[in-house]
Amino acid sequence: MANGTQSAPEILENLKLELRRGCLIVAVLAQLRAEQYGYTLRKALADDGLAIDEGTLYPLLRRLETQGLLVSQWREEDKRNKRFYRLSPAGEQTLTQLLGEWQNINTSLNKILQEASL
Amino acid sequence: MSKSSSPSSTELIDRYLHAVRFWLPKAQQQDIIAELSEDLHSQIEEKESELGRPLNETEMDVLLKQRGRPVLVANRYLPQRSLIGPVLFPIYWFVLKVVAFFYLVPWVLVWIGMMSFSSSYRAQHIAAGWFAAIASAWSALWSTAFFALGAVTIVFVVLEQVQAKSHFLENWNPRKLPPARNPNQIPRSGSVIEVVANLVFGIWWIDIMSRVMSTRVILDRPEIRIVLSPVWRYFFWGFLLLALINTAAAGVNLARPYWTVPRASLRLVTDATASGLFCWMSLSKLDALAEITIPKLIPGQMQAVTNAINLAMARAFPFALVAGVVILLADAYRILRVKNTVPAQLKGEISAAVV
Repeated sequence: MANGTQSAPEILENLKLELRRGCLIVAVLAQLRAEQYGYTLRKALADDGLAIDEGTLYPLLRRLETQGLLVSQWREEDKRNKRFYRLSPAGEQTLTQLLGEWQNINTSLNKILQEASL
Repeated sequence: MSKSSSPSSTELIDRYLHAVRFWLPKAQQQDIIAELSEDLHSQIEEKESELGRPLNETEMDVLLKQRGRPVLVANRYLPQRSLIGPVLFPIYWFVLKVVAFFYLVPWVLVWIGMMSFSSSYRAQHIAAGWFAAIASAWSALWSTAFFALGAVTIVFVVLEQVQAKSHFLENWNPRKLPPARNPNQIPRSGSVIEVVANLVFGIWWIDIMSRVMSTRVILDRPEIRIVLSPVWRYFFWGFLLLALINTAAAGVNLARPYWTVPRASLRLVTDATASGLFCWMSLSKLDALAEITIPKLIPGQMQAVTNAINLAMARAFPFALVAGVVILLADAYRILRVKNTVPAQLKGEISAAVV
């Protein structure tokens, strides 16, 4: 849709989505330092204030696994088969780098905001 | 599956998962559906334990609707694909607009010209009535548009595939970019060519017409004699005046190479006059323009030659009209462009150059 036809709330919503997209990947990787299956991961993220719908989470998990950042395993729990994910060694390394990048961005942004408020 | 769900709810979930499965690649169907199914049942279980009872059909409908239409859910697992991607799309869109403007617009103008001024073409197409003629032209236009725009689209789909593999658009050289040019700047080379061309034409025109206009005999040989009709004095003075005005205007453009509203308007007027004269010439019958005598031809053959020349001139008219309209539209666009950009961009540059 062209920007000219978007209302202010729609523009804000799209910008929020763009902002959240990268953050969600870091959040998912961080949560999966401990093994979890999809539904509990979704709940944990929502409880921490980063709600993510299943249509976004599961394709993201598959992509991260294809990229070698996650490993998964089907296992029976409570009489149901569940797929458990956890961070791979490569994922741990990537998460450390991403968190470093996150810190850099955060520092830069704070600096810019402080300068702007002067 | 949730043990507490009712049979109809279970069937609804199965139908939903089956619909999602349909759109997934075969190799991944089982894995994705198993995981989706597990997530769905976990959610239902949690809801039911909150409510202390099984979900009813309405609540199940709401829950599935929240998850989204099956094809959209499946689509999120598929790689993002497009016939023409975001890298090539701006170029594709530009080419479509160029094709539409330079191919379809002239097509419509030629059709209007032919229908208006070619009696044989009109007679051939309105045999079944005006409505049928317009419907037929509309259909032909859409066929033309479909093939033209379809061909462009196919070329860009192929380019997209090539670009995806070779990334040829990433290989570029900033030094090969075209120079940043002000659209209202008049290239000096163009003005020089205009001055020279108009002067050469003007001198040639005066030379020819000064010899011809007294007797109006343009060719006088034993085998053929051509005498121009008196109407030619309008063409003579008209084209001469245009050549002089254009020479002067090109001279001013050479000295002050930025379009201004007065000069752009003058160009519109001279182009309109020239187009009018050309259209008038091509619309006139030969008898009105010249008298041709070929002694060796019998009267019937002479009439056939005259008719052939008249037909050729009549056929040239739509093209003269289309060319005239295109030129005048470009002139009008130039005036609008100068009006809109002068205050914002060229104030400083033009202040010294305004005529």
